[in-house]
Amino acid sequence: MLRLDGVVKKFGDKRAVDGISLVVPKGQMVGVIGQSGSGKSTLLRMINRLNDPSEGRIFFEGADVTRLTGRELRQWRARCAMIFQQFNLAGRLDVLTNVMMGRAFHAPLWRALLKLWTHDEKAMGLSALEGLDMARLSGQRADTLSGGQQQRVAIARALIQEPEIILADEPIASLDPRNTQVVMDALQHINRHFGITVMCNLHSLDLARKYCDRLVGLAAGRLVFDDVPAALTDSVARDLYGLESGEVLGPESRPDLVPAPGLAIAN
Amino acid sequence: MASPVVHLPEAQLRPLLASYDAAVRSRRFHSLLVMACIVAAIGLSSVSAEVDLAKFFGNLGNFTSYIWRLFHLDNGAWVWADPVEWYWGAARWLRLLGETLLMAYVGTALGAIGAFFLAFLAAANVAPRPWLRLLVRRFCELCRTVPQLVFALMFVIAFGLGPLAGVLAMAIHTLGALGKLFAEVVENIDMKPVEGVSATGAHWTAAMRYGALPQTLSNFVSYSLLRFEINVREAAVMGFVGAGGIGMDLIEAIRKFYYSDVSAILLMIVVTVAVIDTLTSMARHRLIGMEERH
Amino acid sequence: MAGRMKVDTAAIRSRHPHYFGPPARDRQVLMLAGAAAVILLVAAMAELGFFGAKLIGGIDKLGDIAVLMMPPSPGDWAHVRLYLLSLMETIAISFLGTLLAAVIALPIALLAARNVTVQRVLRFFTRRSLDIIRSVDILIWALIWINVVGLGPFAGVLAIMTSDIGNFGKLFSEAIEAVDRKPREGIVASGGGAVLGIRFGILPEVFPVLASQVLYFFESNTRSATIIGIVGAGGIGLHLAEAIRTLELQQVSFIILLILVAVAAIDVVSNQLRFALIGRRARLA
Repeated sequence: MLRLDGVVKKFGDKRAVDGISLVVPKGQMVGVIGQSGSGKSTLLRMINRLNDPSEGRIFFEGADVTRLTGRELRQWRARCAMIFQQFNLAGRLDVLTNVMMGRAFHAPLWRALLKLWTHDEKAMGLSALEGLDMARLSGQRADTLSGGQQQRVAIARALIQEPEIILADEPIASLDPRNTQVVMDALQHINRHFGITVMCNLHSLDLARKYCDRLVGLAAGRLVFDDVPAALTDSVARDLYGLESGEVLGPESRPDLVPAPGLAIAN
Repeated sequence: MASPVVHLPEAQLRPLLASYDAAVRSRRFHSLLVMACIVAAIGLSSVSAEVDLAKFFGNLGNFTSYIWRLFHLDNGAWVWADPVEWYWGAARWLRLLGETLLMAYVGTALGAIGAFFLAFLAAANVAPRPWLRLLVRRFCELCRTVPQLVFALMFVIAFGLGPLAGVLAMAIHTLGALGKLFAEVVENIDMKPVEGVSATGAHWTAAMRYGALPQTLSNFVSYSLLRFEINVREAAVMGFVGAGGIGMDLIEAIRKFYYSDVSAILLMIVVTVAVIDTLTSMARHRLIGMEERH
Repeated sequence: MAGRMKVDTAAIRSRHPHYFGPPARDRQVLMLAGAAAVILLVAAMAELGFFGAKLIGGIDKLGDIAVLMMPPSPGDWAHVRLYLLSLMETIAISFLGTLLAAVIALPIALLAARNVTVQRVLRFFTRRSLDIIRSVDILIWALIWINVVGLGPFAGVLAIMTSDIGNFGKLFSEAIEAVDRKPREGIVASGGGAVLGIRFGILPEVFPVLASQVLYFFESNTRSATIIGIVGAGGIGLHLAEAIRTLELQQVSFIILLILVAVAAIDVVSNQLRFALIGRRARLA
């Protein structure tokens, strides 16, 4: 179980994430929705500790992950895989080496540095790639692949971490429709078959409704929606995405999520 | 928890592993080949350059003790314990340092003035005569490829010991280096103003003055300032061949093992270079700022 | 044809006082600075002995020297052999010095790069040290190393190495700072430590840039290596200085010619290699 407790992230004066509390039970597939700049990305990055929260705590299975440092922090990151919008692969390295970075925490440093992976490790990497129909490209340089292929490599890297939770930060924003489906299907498959918790930032509400068990809506760094996808009515959605134009009112002045007529339509 | 990776059966895995290993092997072979070439070159070079690691590590102590001695006076005290004794030659060194700066200034200025005129003759877009352009280009190339110190050595014979030889050597080298850069600046200008002035029936000189020059001046000054920075460093060693500046005293101090003098002069050079670098980069930023305002 | 245009100077003057009044402050400052620069130049030239018989006499002598340098000639075959050998030595010095400098400068550059070394004080001192190394000329380093390992080419190797550690340290750290942060982030996010992040996230990305810089410096160092012989640190400079001192002017021009050819050859080779390196990257980008 993942629990966020009043998490705040400030960049200078700006509060990118402004006091979010959330409980995600094990095995759920959560879609995080909201406009760009609403704090979705920062939220996920804080869970992986790529950004440190300014206030608040994050707990996983009862342990405070905001306090971790050094080896324990790396162990947490290995348990909590991250998938990025821009794939974040090392373009000049071959596909399998990129995937093997998923074992970076488990393999001894000297072996990792020299790329001396054991037979089992390589078998694991290739199996993960094959599951995504990518094993035949294992020897190619990552920057020769298309965006969809690169994202599949990134998913393979996440898989061989054998994570307990996967954070996907706009995983399909740079992909075409066909690859969008491949990637989302893969995430759903991982979630359904292995019970791995998935938190996925999405821009598209249709996809969020289609794939997720639960949707969390952010606006201006605050939690403004948290329910099953069916509860996300059109008016709520419009409100969520029209907030930017109505920001003058500020979230405080809006006691509930009933859309103010004439305000939400601005989008 | 179950691993999300479904392991392939060995039979299916084997060809995949083999094809990956083959891809890696060919790349590895390539890099090994490059490495082998480099190692061979290192071996040959080491013989040619008389690399003697035993001597190096045997004498490495000399290096640290040399540095240590640089910062101690003859009486064994740290140099900063007695700055007056350390800088006993301050008056003379400051004069020589001043001379060094003047050398760099005059060398840069003369070279830049020469390069300024040559640039318009050497730039492909405005050059009045093709043969002249080629001639000027070759001349600039010769001036910047022959090391400055070689010019200095020859000029010392012609002009005698002293800063005159050094300045002239520096001016020639600067002429070559800046001539190339200035010509590139001129080649990158917008030709419309030049054509505009030419269309009024103006002479080539006038077209350059009113059409080309205004677009190039700030770049010229910026490059000259950069060159001045380099020339300050170079002027400090002109004295090594008797061509003036603080280098004369520095090489004497090094050769005769006047340790504290070496550190005193070196410190003066390092500080001067740092100050000049800061000033010129400030001036260049001012210049760019002024360009943007206009 | 109309006659000469009548110009109402007074009216124009009143409408555009800007063009006729005293020049703007900016312009004034610039003109003052220009005047000061010219005055300083003339004064400095006087101080350095430009306006005396020395200059005229020197130019006269220089003419004689130029005539005596033609045609370039090595004297005899023994000298050709000697010069070619020391030219090879020069190239060897340059090669080893550049390579050593690159190897040593890489970890230093990591210490100086903002995106790798978070520790501000450490980074500050690394950068200042590099600045100091760079402000000392290569010939001075040569003299210092001669005191440690004695006269000869080895001192030259060490001098080029020291001087280039300063240059490479700065250039490499700038290249590292310019690298895309995403690959490293991907590795760190999967539980890799700082070392793996650098090894797989930074080094492969910056390698072509660094290699290209090293090749570029190899060429310019060959030029430097020709002069360090003047102070006794090996290479062809020793023979060049000797020939100048003994006024063997035809040999001087021969050696200079030899140097020019060697530098041009290395320039071509290193440019080819750089093109191959960068071209390969461009193709795959």
